[in-house]
Amino acid sequence: MRLEKCWFCSSTIYPGHGIQFVRNDAKIFRFCRSKCHKNFKMKRNPRKDSTFEFERKRNRPERYDRNLAENVLKAIPKIDKIRVSREERHHKNNLVKARYVLQQDPSLTLPKIKVKVSQQQSEENHAMEE
Amino acid sequence: MAAIFASRCSRVGRSLFGGLSNSSPGLFTTLHEMTCKNMFSQQQRTFIQMRTVLKVVDNSGAKKVMCIQALKGKKGARLGDTIIASVKEAHPNGKVKKGKVVYGVVVRAAMQKGRCDGSEVKFDDNAVVLVDKQGQPIGTRVFGPVPHELRQKKHVKILTLAGHIA
Repeated sequence: MRLEKCWFCSSTIYPGHGIQFVRNDAKIFRFCRSKCHKNFKMKRNPRKDSTFEFERKRNRPERYDRNLAENVLKAIPKIDKIRVSREERHHKNNLVKARYVLQQDPSLTLPKIKVKVSQQQSEENHAMEE
Repeated sequence: MAAIFASRCSRVGRSLFGGLSNSSPGLFTTLHEMTCKNMFSQQQRTFIQMRTVLKVVDNSGAKKVMCIQALKGKKGARLGDTIIASVKEAHPNGKVKKGKVVYGVVVRAAMQKGRCDGSEVKFDDNAVVLVDKQGQPIGTRVFGPVPHELRQKKHVKILTLAGHIA
């Protein structure tokens, strides 16, 4: 299944969604929802359309600022260090909790099973490997 | 239809804005335009039923046909269905003459039709390709886009003649 783009708002159209309008010059217009389809029928310009202002505000690229970029590059290693230390702390806490729980209720531990392998089986396995 | 609707609108307008000053005509016209525009732009597309006039998009000689019987379904014909129609306009030296009763396959319909992948498809107008009783097209060319659903309806000949498959 292909993922198409909406003609009006350029959002992704997943399979089973939307409506497709075929004009007589064989140009296909795909719409993700009735909102886009109705706006198209009303001959609205998608570039000027104010109803999609909210969608346009998200993911707007920031204007380049040298100081900001420098601070971000400095902050990246610090943030990584913090993330790693948090993960380690989290694992350590979980281990402590697990030990405490096992001390309280030893039945939660898995029983140790000893498997006896006969001499013949081990020889057969060795022969197969060769 | 449009004329009747316009006259009704104008009557309503007169009754509403009769007592207003000389600024009323402008107000009335804008209201009237808006109402008419909304009415006709958002018109509900429906089935192809008796007395529906369809455009003929092949070179059989007919220009316009009027549906007199939809051969499938209670409500009417849709995209890919076969209809019986009467020729209303025809070229002077075509294969089909005016007044002849013919069979036709609906290759474009303004009413949307669900596809097997879950989406919907609709076209600009209602168009038909004239066929004989065996389902073979009378003309030798098909103009404009046709949907690929015709393959399921066993109208492969129409698809091969078509310029664009949507």
